[in-house]
Amino acid sequence: MIGSKRKGLGVITTAAIATSALLISAIPAHAEVGVSSSEIKLGITVPQTGPAATGYNKVAPAMKAYFAYVNANGGVNGRKINLIIKDDKYIPQEAINMTNELILKDKVMAIVGALGTANNLAVASKVQIASRGVPSLFVNTGYSGFADKKKFPTTFALFPSYAMEAKAIAAYLKENLPTAKTCVLLQNDDFGADAAAGFKTGGVTFTETVKYVSGTQSSATGQTWIGKFATAKCEVVVLFGVGTANAIALGVAAAGGYKPQWILGSVGSDVTTIKATLNNPQATALMNGAIGASWAPDSADLTDEYAKQFREINTTYNAGAVFDNNVMVGMSEGLLIVQALRAAGTNPTRKSLIAAIEKKGSTFASAGYSALGYSATSHVGQTGFWFGKYNLAGELKSVDGKYTMYTTDSAAGPVVKTEQKRLPMPAKGLPSN
Amino acid sequence: MKNLMSKKNKVIAFLASTSLVTMTMVALPSAARAADPSCTDLVVITQCVGATTDGAGYVVQVPAKFTGTLFLFSHGYRYPVDIPAGIPLVGGYKVVSSPQPAPGGGAAQITEVATAMLGKGYAVAGSGFVTQGWNADSGLKTNVELIGILKKRFPKITKVVAWGESLGGFITQGLAEKYPTLIDAAAPLCMAAGSVEAELTMGGDALWGLKTFFDPTLVGGNYAAGAAGYAQAMGDIVKVLTIAGTLQAAIAANPTAPAWPATSKVPDSIKAIPSRSALVLVGVMSGIPTQSAHFDNSTGPGDPTATAYVSYASAISPALGTLENIAQAAILGVLATYDVELQAGGAIFDNTKTDYAARLGSDLYTYGSALSGLDAASGMLAYLSPLNPAAPRAVGNPNAMAKMRTLLTHTGKINVPTIAMGATADPITPAGNVQWLADRAAEQLTASRAAAKAAYLTSGSYTKPASNFMTIWQKTPAKYSKYTATGSPDTTPAGANGTGHCNTTTKQYLAIADLAYAAANTGQLVVGGKLLTTLRKAGGLSYDPGFKASLLKFYN
Repeated sequence: MIGSKRKGLGVITTAAIATSALLISAIPAHAEVGVSSSEIKLGITVPQTGPAATGYNKVAPAMKAYFAYVNANGGVNGRKINLIIKDDKYIPQEAINMTNELILKDKVMAIVGALGTANNLAVASKVQIASRGVPSLFVNTGYSGFADKKKFPTTFALFPSYAMEAKAIAAYLKENLPTAKTCVLLQNDDFGADAAAGFKTGGVTFTETVKYVSGTQSSATGQTWIGKFATAKCEVVVLFGVGTANAIALGVAAAGGYKPQWILGSVGSDVTTIKATLNNPQATALMNGAIGASWAPDSADLTDEYAKQFREINTTYNAGAVFDNNVMVGMSEGLLIVQALRAAGTNPTRKSLIAAIEKKGSTFASAGYSALGYSATSHVGQTGFWFGKYNLAGELKSVDGKYTMYTTDSAAGPVVKTEQKRLPMPAKGLPSN
Repeated sequence: MKNLMSKKNKVIAFLASTSLVTMTMVALPSAARAADPSCTDLVVITQCVGATTDGAGYVVQVPAKFTGTLFLFSHGYRYPVDIPAGIPLVGGYKVVSSPQPAPGGGAAQITEVATAMLGKGYAVAGSGFVTQGWNADSGLKTNVELIGILKKRFPKITKVVAWGESLGGFITQGLAEKYPTLIDAAAPLCMAAGSVEAELTMGGDALWGLKTFFDPTLVGGNYAAGAAGYAQAMGDIVKVLTIAGTLQAAIAANPTAPAWPATSKVPDSIKAIPSRSALVLVGVMSGIPTQSAHFDNSTGPGDPTATAYVSYASAISPALGTLENIAQAAILGVLATYDVELQAGGAIFDNTKTDYAARLGSDLYTYGSALSGLDAASGMLAYLSPLNPAAPRAVGNPNAMAKMRTLLTHTGKINVPTIAMGATADPITPAGNVQWLADRAAEQLTASRAAAKAAYLTSGSYTKPASNFMTIWQKTPAKYSKYTATGSPDTTPAGANGTGHCNTTTKQYLAIADLAYAAANTGQLVVGGKLLTTLRKAGGLSYDPGFKASLLKFYN
């Protein structure tokens, strides 16, 4: 209890305000959860094992490797970043369990790069990260809902949404393959629903739409999909599934001699995943000639300064992991996280971290080719895609050499073509913001 | 019939592994005489029995080394009707109104808790209440009178803690709201909160879903008058258990695509969806937890890196968890609906305007695998549409519903230090009950702090109002499902912490009692290290002010 002697009415207000200010300033500054004088603790949940782990299990180690590089170069304002990785096996309840551990037991400052729409939704609902004030930065999903600041006030998207990607593909199809009989493979969940909404908005009518339930993809189901596409005489097939599903579709089609013009969505086009799923190091040949959409440079693009810098860091700090798009994603997220922590001040708190991204996030350097959309009213990250063709090695090469971006929103906004524009990679990959 | 039931009992073996309601009590004689209790001085306690003016029997035990604090217990929902012996799980039940002085899942635990309480110097007392079923109004009246009787007989009583389980928690909160001067602290445990309508909506939704998907002959409410209605209700219990048993057998035979019960009349397009997914849909849209006593939703049998393991955890375990829970919830739903309909004079469940898709919310995605994908879920939701004549909605009787709403209802006002305990996977009174009360408490705290700040601007004096309410959670462990060597679920272990209804250990009861004792005697809740130490020693309890359970679907 804080009392003060009552004074004349004329000074009550002034005194009250002054004392109020005193009250506030007298509160001892307490260290934020997960932040000590020497360390910032962060947590990530991803499938490190299990059927969904292929490819995705490289994201968190890559992020950790980037943090190791930053730590070796002084950390964030003198603090080392300690990333705690939890394996959720891509099971929603396990994501809840692991996130609870991170928040309540490990006491992390923030969750970063949590992977999967269903898992992030489960965590939002059952762990209540928003009401706890725990930031969830740069979630590894393109579900458009996570950019809804009202529903998910502490969550920030990074990837352009599935709806944006579908709209961009729709625009590309209209421009380049307007008369082709076009079909699509979708996952029968939020991922597919988000995309379906985008395709619809984009005005694409598919001759055949095949949907699969997550986790049911197999050679047998793949036979069914390809059978439907072949029967419908699809000339263009958009594979908007996860990597394992897309790989199965490519493999089954090749075995059966079915050769439509493939268009691969960004989620399911990782070379490592496709090779691992088909257990064939030469499987990238199946991608040869396929059209692909991507929001960031291909990891194999040695001319790109981000890919080049991350590749160098990967060589030294990531235990010999093959450098691929998943490694790129992990390191790109790491780069954003470091900038966000720096922008949050010398003594970052959960609140200042969120405020910093809202205030300065649009100025952060990012590997993506479109501008970041963060603001006080938006938690949208990247907003655009470029199109390329895969070569025999599974590398995506720009069709126009210019990386023309198809930018849009997740709703009914138009698709606008712009030249790619981004901030340069910070010197040596170390932010100085 | 008996033989059929016997076979069914084997099929639904795991359904019987947890108690349905708190219905066991100390076998003490109840006195018919009002006011003056009949007392016996034993070696270390004085024990009295008697009856309040409404005829409700009570018992009180006061230790020789009495601290002055009395714990008045309110028992949970007891079935208001006898149940024929031939009905599985609950058959042979006889209505009992014996007094219960302490909480517990059976006579042995009640005795254990009461004995330990007496050892701490706490007096224990409880009524059996004069009527059973949903008796919140009469129970409240009985308790008010009983407090007066006990204070008169034992002038050394200086503090009264009201506590109760399930419906008894509802009565406890009602007592704290309406008669705050009679008690000094409250501890509603695994409570029903808000209103009877909120609670029964879950059962009504579950019964309607089971009826619509699996057996249209299930009555599910709006029971006939007299003996015919009783027969309908008893028949519904058998049907619910038959559905559960059939689904369990189907899942055991083919976990991926279990067959639909023969009683189902849904079209083939719906039957193309695994029946387990319809079961999960019914559970989730009703608000019944998918985690249960033996199914954690996070593990499967075998190699944790295998696809089968992940599929089981994501798709099969939620179905089996729902099955284990929904049987309990639906049986209580039948009996409580029948009971409240009798009290209200007609049908009290109405889902003519319920939007079940909205009820699902983001759970549609969270349980995407268990629901067999978005299209399957959408198809099932479309089948449940009010526009589908094959899925007629339940229509309530407006007069009966109005009468139901006159029954004791909570405002959520916190008048005395209150320690509520809830389990995150309670299938009968889901965690959303206590969360509702916690939300009301948080609103009051926010308002009182705003008022204090406003007062400070004029008086210059500031006292930060302290919270008068806390929720202690029984949370489920991260992993607890067990599997046999052949990969079948093992349902023989005791239900995990945080699952089942009022599945509370003696240590947990005593921890809450100690916290309530301290609150009653200091006027403040125990916080900080002392609180955490108390919870740690009890095991399975946590204080996590950041945690918020989902509210009952009634509030969606």
